[in-house]
Amino acid sequence: MLRRIVHFFLIAVIFLPVAVLLILSFSEHWIFPDVLPENFHRQTWLRLFSTESELRQSLGLSIVVSLCVAFFSTLMGCILSRAVSTSRYKKYYISLAYLPYILSPVVLGVLWHYFAVVIGLNASFIGVVSAQFLICFPFGFIILSSFWTRHISNYEELSITLGSSEWFRFKKVIFPLAKPVLGLCFFQCFLISWFDYGLTQLIGGGQVKTLTLSVFNFINEANIFLAALASLLLVIPPMTLLFFNKKIILKRTLIH
Amino acid sequence: MRKANSLTKFLRLIYVLLIVVPTFAGFTYALLHSLGLTGLLTDGLTLKYWSEALRDFYMWKSIGFSFLIAVISVFLSFCIALFLVLKLTDDFQKKWFHRLLFLPLCFPATVMAFYVMQTFSKSGFLSRLSFQFGWIDHIESFPELTNDAYGIGIMLTSVLLVFPFFTLFLKNIFDAERLQDYGLIAQSLGAKPRHAFWKISLALLWQKSKSTVVLYIIFVMGSYEVPLLLGRQNPQMITPRIVDKAQRFNLHDIPQAYVMALIYLFLVLLLISLMSTRFVQFFKKKTHA
Repeated sequence: MLRRIVHFFLIAVIFLPVAVLLILSFSEHWIFPDVLPENFHRQTWLRLFSTESELRQSLGLSIVVSLCVAFFSTLMGCILSRAVSTSRYKKYYISLAYLPYILSPVVLGVLWHYFAVVIGLNASFIGVVSAQFLICFPFGFIILSSFWTRHISNYEELSITLGSSEWFRFKKVIFPLAKPVLGLCFFQCFLISWFDYGLTQLIGGGQVKTLTLSVFNFINEANIFLAALASLLLVIPPMTLLFFNKKIILKRTLIH
Repeated sequence: MRKANSLTKFLRLIYVLLIVVPTFAGFTYALLHSLGLTGLLTDGLTLKYWSEALRDFYMWKSIGFSFLIAVISVFLSFCIALFLVLKLTDDFQKKWFHRLLFLPLCFPATVMAFYVMQTFSKSGFLSRLSFQFGWIDHIESFPELTNDAYGIGIMLTSVLLVFPFFTLFLKNIFDAERLQDYGLIAQSLGAKPRHAFWKISLALLWQKSKSTVVLYIIFVMGSYEVPLLLGRQNPQMITPRIVDKAQRFNLHDIPQAYVMALIYLFLVLLLISLMSTRFVQFFKKKTHA
């Protein structure tokens, strides 16, 4: 009996957020004390597909920002974790990568804001991508550090012995082996960037309107229906990833 | 070979620069600004902003409030996770149950806070349901669960965000350490279930997860979006307070924001060093001596 109650409670707790957001995204009026909104229609969703839709622009911008951040974080994470993997002080290098997370990205954003203004990167796309990169890259580094094991260096040594060039070694040995972990790192960094609000708001100064900023804007405008739609759009990519690979979601949560 | 070595060293230097330089540059600028040595209001070395901030009751209240919210949220999440792992151990074998627990991990803090706002606020779903059932006769009769003085909304959101992760995390430890087998052995040797729980399951799970618990306390303390949506001006969590001060039009508030950021960073580093193994071992040795 207890088991069934817990199951029911757990299902309710986990599915209610999705249900509430779905209901709100298909409504327009919700006056107290009605439990459910008056009319259900597709009006809010249809707005997403109109050419002048602010939400669509935010969605597009969020995708581009997150893809850039994920690409550069994975690239730099891969190159630098390789360089650090042979160091005696590898443990200390990895500990250093936790610094931006422990010190809170938003607090760091406050401290970086002055430099963003001086360099002329505030309120710009590049400024937001750079700030998010400084947070995501250490995370990518942590993930990719676990790839460079003794096993991988044995493969490298073997290919050197057999006379392969550096490029051939990367293309035919390292890259195929690293593909899963590179994919994992890319998606993790994509999600961190996708979910970010504080840094984007601080460095972007509200000018770089990503999807998370749109959620806040709609809430401030008391437009809970569009806020619900924007929230659902935020949840779709991680849910798609969950469908394909549970590990991606779990590792992100472990660090972030 | 030498070329390869110098390239590796150069890349390591780049790594250190990318991690350390932005953090310490921000740190140094905040320190100089808070001491009146830079910024638009610079008028020479002064401890004015530090003494003002250190005497600011509301700053300490914000730090204490953030810490309390974080500790309570993480404690509740840990308890829920422990209950699920120990009471529903067999259910984790079922694919649907395992997948179910992954679902909340897809929710960003912003979205979860928005959901809590729409469900638990005075005009939310629960309030409307209570009205229909006749439990309340007016919107104002519904208790304040969001933007409240005790941070209930913030804690609720944090628990909803953290407990699924803790459940999966503790379950991994439970399996890796074969705690079910240990429990059965202890009971077959005469231990009561209560003893097996306190002396084996809880002790081992806590031992293996305490550093993650501390990290999560720090993460919740530094959360920004959730208190921004579900918090209030007084008491306010420390991160929105720092951002508020830093973004005000009054230029005298900016050095204070930097002081608060530095104090917060110092306290977080202190908390980490207090919890580090070396520190704990040091005290263990002292106690044994």
